[in-house]
Amino acid sequence: MLKVENIDVYYDKIHAIKDVSFNVKKGEVVTLIGANGAGKTTILKTISKLMEPSHGVILFEDQPLNKMQPHQMIYLGMAHVPEGRRVFAKMSVHENLQMGAYIRKDKAGIESDLEKVFNYFPRLKERINQPAGTLSGGEQQMLAIGRALMSKPKLMLMDEPSMGLAPILVQEIFNIIDTIKESGTTILLVEQNANQALQIADRAYVLETGKIINSGDAKELLADDTIRQAYLGG
Amino acid sequence: MILFLQQIINGLSVGSIYALIALGYTMVYGIIKLINFAHGEIMMAGAYFAFLVGVHLGLPFFAVLIISMIGAAVLGVFIEFIAYKPLRKAPRISALITAIGVSFFLQNLALVIFKAEPKIMPNLIVKRPVNIGSLQIGTVTLATLALSIGFMIILDVFVKRTKPGKAMRAVSEDKDAALLMGINVNRTISITFAIGSALGAVAGVLFGVMYTQVYPTMGVMPGLKAFVAAVLGGIGLIPGAVLGGFVIGMVETITKAYLSSQWSDAIVFGLLIIVLLIKPTGILGKNEKEKV
Repeated sequence: MLKVENIDVYYDKIHAIKDVSFNVKKGEVVTLIGANGAGKTTILKTISKLMEPSHGVILFEDQPLNKMQPHQMIYLGMAHVPEGRRVFAKMSVHENLQMGAYIRKDKAGIESDLEKVFNYFPRLKERINQPAGTLSGGEQQMLAIGRALMSKPKLMLMDEPSMGLAPILVQEIFNIIDTIKESGTTILLVEQNANQALQIADRAYVLETGKIINSGDAKELLADDTIRQAYLGG
Repeated sequence: MILFLQQIINGLSVGSIYALIALGYTMVYGIIKLINFAHGEIMMAGAYFAFLVGVHLGLPFFAVLIISMIGAAVLGVFIEFIAYKPLRKAPRISALITAIGVSFFLQNLALVIFKAEPKIMPNLIVKRPVNIGSLQIGTVTLATLALSIGFMIILDVFVKRTKPGKAMRAVSEDKDAALLMGINVNRTISITFAIGSALGAVAGVLFGVMYTQVYPTMGVMPGLKAFVAAVLGGIGLIPGAVLGGFVIGMVETITKAYLSSQWSDAIVFGLLIIVLLIKPTGILGKNEKEKV
């Protein structure tokens, strides 16, 4: 579904991503793990066209993305839950979810997906008319995920959904990711919480200072001693 | 007492013109963080459009108003496209200086095309006093007030309830997140310029009708005062621009009537300084802290 081939990305002169290639197949959950600053967020931003690779190709359902504009990506079926949630703080929970369905015209479908999101996250329904900026961090993360779901994506890019959340919420978020996966949505998950990420992922790529240094079956990586020592706290 | 009430109504009427112009400043600032110093000249251009259409085609007021709004909207979008869009990623000061340059350019363009002497605005609104109780108010004052408030209500509904209005708010909060939603940010910015400029044209037409004159530098003082109004109310906030406009119009009219007409501008700008000393974000502005 998604093929990233030999991309290089620069921030001015800093070579952030070095010749990275990987792929995500339909129905899979693939995770990119690695330390802070390894380039995980940069890769997601490059896939959704918020950044341009200086070299290399990205294909989504065999279609090259190099000529596409960032706002067109969602039309292809790609939704990005950005790092730090990035909900529209002054808009209500309801309006945020409507913005998620911005490109859709099927009113009935939007309503039923809204109910689906509220089923996943009942707390959002309780706060439907509240400005998103007044929600707690965990609720904002739920809103960011719900907003992405409102576009009915084929592929979801999720950037550190567990960042800064209490352990009980982290578990809740990962349960939801699992449910989204069960419903047939493909997921590319970027996480610092490698332990949790590897438990729900099918495959994983390990990123270090802009390069992929290891990859494979998520369960095998979870059992791998060097990975355990480097990313899972021994 | 009657005189005082009449001054209040005059103040509201002048204030509503400032508010219309301030809306353009604040909407553009809200979406691209630019103080569009050429906005006063958009208002001037709107007045000239109305003058041309009014004199040469002899159309009724509402037709003239709508043509002028469309003309100004096209001009505003065009200016954004050629002058500001290439500077979207440049430092903010570059765009600001460009805006000042565009302002001078438009003033001088008007000077070349129309010459310096003021044109007489045709009487687009029949001027006569209307008696409300023992108050006597001019039709122009009443029309100004009614039209301004009408457009403000339309704008409010547009921004709060319609899809492009919501897209506008989304873009002004977070451009990247808006892009991820599929919002065409460039088009949304164009729509913002179009609406702001059209409202500026309404102000220009009303101002021209009120003072019966149209001239190349007519946008300078109202533009400056509307800018003050937008900052006073809280730049980037639509209700702030409306509130600021009415406050400035009222203070100006009352000082002119009861204190000194020479000092009225100094008092208006002094008010800005005082408000900003006490509340740097403006009357309605909040110091927002981002939740991490």
